[in-house]
Amino acid sequence: MTEHDPSGQLERLSRHGLVMAIWAPTVFVAAILFHAGYIYETNWWFAAAFGSLIVAFCAHIIVNVVLKTGFTAGEIALGSAILVGLTLAYLITILTVSDILVDRLTVPIGLGLGTLVVVVVISMVISFGPRRAFEKFDVIRDNNLRAASRLPHRGGRR
Amino acid sequence: MTFLLVITLGLLFVYALYFAAQTARIGTNPKDFLDGGMALPGWSVMFILPAIGVAALGVERHLLLVSRYGLQASHVAVGLITMAVAAVMFWNRLWLAARLAGLNTPGEAIGRYYDSIALRVIMMGLCVLFALPYSANLLSQAALLVQQATDGTIPREMAVWVFALSMAIPAIIGGWRAIVLALAMEAVLIAILIPGIMLFGEIVLPGDIFPAQPMRVDDGIFWDRIPGVLQGYAGVGKNVPTGGIFTTVAISSTAISLVGIVLSPATLYLGQTARKGHAFGIGAVWLTGGLAAGLLLIAVPVLAARMPTGLVSHAGALAAIVPLAGVSVILLGVMGGLFAISFFVAGGALLLFRELIHTYLLPNLTDRGQRLGARISLGLGFFLLGLMAAFMPFVSAVFASVALPLALQLLPAMVGFAFMRWISRGAVLAGIALGSLLVVFTEPLGLIIFEGLFVNLPWGRWPLTIHSAGWGLAINLLIVFLSSVATLKGPDMYQRSRFHRAMKAHPPASVARSGLLWGLAILWGFLAYGPGAVLGNFFFSDPIFTELQSVMGVPSLWVWQMLFWLFGVVLVWWVSHSVGFGRTHEVTGKPMRLGMPRSMRSPDWISSGLSRVLNRSGNVPAGHPDKAPVRVLLPDLESKQPDVKPGRGKTRVG
Repeated sequence: MTEHDPSGQLERLSRHGLVMAIWAPTVFVAAILFHAGYIYETNWWFAAAFGSLIVAFCAHIIVNVVLKTGFTAGEIALGSAILVGLTLAYLITILTVSDILVDRLTVPIGLGLGTLVVVVVISMVISFGPRRAFEKFDVIRDNNLRAASRLPHRGGRR
Repeated sequence: MTFLLVITLGLLFVYALYFAAQTARIGTNPKDFLDGGMALPGWSVMFILPAIGVAALGVERHLLLVSRYGLQASHVAVGLITMAVAAVMFWNRLWLAARLAGLNTPGEAIGRYYDSIALRVIMMGLCVLFALPYSANLLSQAALLVQQATDGTIPREMAVWVFALSMAIPAIIGGWRAIVLALAMEAVLIAILIPGIMLFGEIVLPGDIFPAQPMRVDDGIFWDRIPGVLQGYAGVGKNVPTGGIFTTVAISSTAISLVGIVLSPATLYLGQTARKGHAFGIGAVWLTGGLAAGLLLIAVPVLAARMPTGLVSHAGALAAIVPLAGVSVILLGVMGGLFAISFFVAGGALLLFRELIHTYLLPNLTDRGQRLGARISLGLGFFLLGLMAAFMPFVSAVFASVALPLALQLLPAMVGFAFMRWISRGAVLAGIALGSLLVVFTEPLGLIIFEGLFVNLPWGRWPLTIHSAGWGLAINLLIVFLSSVATLKGPDMYQRSRFHRAMKAHPPASVARSGLLWGLAILWGFLAYGPGAVLGNFFFSDPIFTELQSVMGVPSLWVWQMLFWLFGVVLVWWVSHSVGFGRTHEVTGKPMRLGMPRSMRSPDWISSGLSRVLNRSGNVPAGHPDKAPVRVLLPDLESKQPDVKPGRGKTRVG
């Protein structure tokens, strides 16, 4: 029903616009900083790049709080896919490139990716509390797609 | 760098296209295409206001002026505080008036309030001025920057048409809301790029940071101080001012000219179509007064000191180290222009459609018809923009120079509309006519035409170092005040009083606070960019209360600018939050009627002209709206017109 509600759709579009207005410039800045880090062989550029991504993530959370919304399913999927993709690319890079490059990139990018994961976990713990934050990852609990499985006496606690 | 630049600009286009498609997919009323349903997200308006202020100064132009004249040119950025104050006050009242009286556009608001078709025509003229020559000039400069950055790989004309097309497509698909959503992101990007490029350049490039490494100005230019209050100077093109052109009078008149961008129809329309809330206040105080003014006063001098020959050389220096950083410098210059172009052309085309086509030519259009008409207007607007920018860059530049000062001539009209009921229609029109004349004759437009046709004038552009906006506004205000005194008891006072009584039911705050506000504003203006600003030249380096000299390492004027920028933020905060202009509330109750009722048929001369073109036999088909009898509710109006007692001026409702 809500899919055909123009006012609801406009609200979602407005929020989407705000989120994109935060992320798009930040990703551009982060790209410049990553490029600088790669060229300059200085870890501080990588730190600044990951820092800018963390700032955007914090701004996204502030948007959620102000607009009384949460991360949408699309945002979670996109964010997870990008993080997993970056991690895989990082691992493949370490396995395939020359030792000199591995020495340069392993520590700053590994630490940066790790920091991103930690920031996400901390934000979840702050937003939901430890137990509900853990339940977000508890996919086994939610793997029964039958409607009856959602009943409390059947163990469903969605 | 060319490839990366093209990719980056392409991504901007994709972003705008994405939001246009998203907006078009939502099944809202087709009429929302024109005004975003009068409920644009507050955050977007909040982000766009400071970028409009920066666009009024022009990113590339401001950087060049600061690198050529130093801190005296940078001082003009204090005017963003004045612009923020004007924006928050006029937006608040116009927003309220639009909801109280069902006014769709700024032209309709002013025209109905003063019951004047001439003022509506003036508004339409300003729409054209900002949408075509002003924007074409910016587009031409942006395209030239791309040509220089790509070493001619992308020629200027090609860049003009590609830019025009890439801005037209999202606008035609998504309408006003989509444009605003895309521009909001560009505003954020500009806000990040200015300090980002400055910091990046200082870290990676050799050499000292400003002010240890001052601007490389020409001999005789005072880069670190203001060259006096006023100079006996005939104007640009006649002689050369001593120490630079930016005297305090030049700074104050240029700063006040920035208010012209607030009074441009598209900017007023943006405020009018916003959703209720705190957006005006936050946008004016923290983002315009705080962030934008601060960035221009602190970051731009540092950046300008690094680019004595313009953006391209600096981009080249950065691109040699990190190519994407070089691209970001060009992107800053291009996007500063594209932001304003997209905003003014789209806003102008939509307003012209509503003001001219829908109001006078085709008043019976359905909602879908209005959307189609708006799309055609947008397409035509961007096509004409490309045409002017590609083939008439000089004409565009000449006409563009009068856009801001001419828009400023609407100030008395807007002040009358929003606050002072005693400002009459005749006074406003007389003021605009004479003020505009003075503007035109202190800018290249009038000077070139007059000197080409007749004789050389003894003055040039900005005589006595006073900006044309200052000349025009001074005579305008004088005429308005004198004429309004004479027309104080005119019969049209009734309607204005009725409107202001309705507005008073939704006051921003108490009168006492407003009085204090004006006192503070005048004091701040006098010291920040008025004659008192010359005190800043040596106030902190050679204090007047001691014979000692302070060694700060930075010019005294720079400290003065930062100090009065901070005081200015407090002033905008006072206007927005303490007086209450920064917040809009729900308007309830029956809407009032202002001026004549909306006509549902075209004027006779237009309809007969159209019928001659469309229907040569002259037969209007049965059932056509033009066949219907005229529905002008004169008896109703007459019953509410006041009876004016001769000589006493008191009014009573009949």
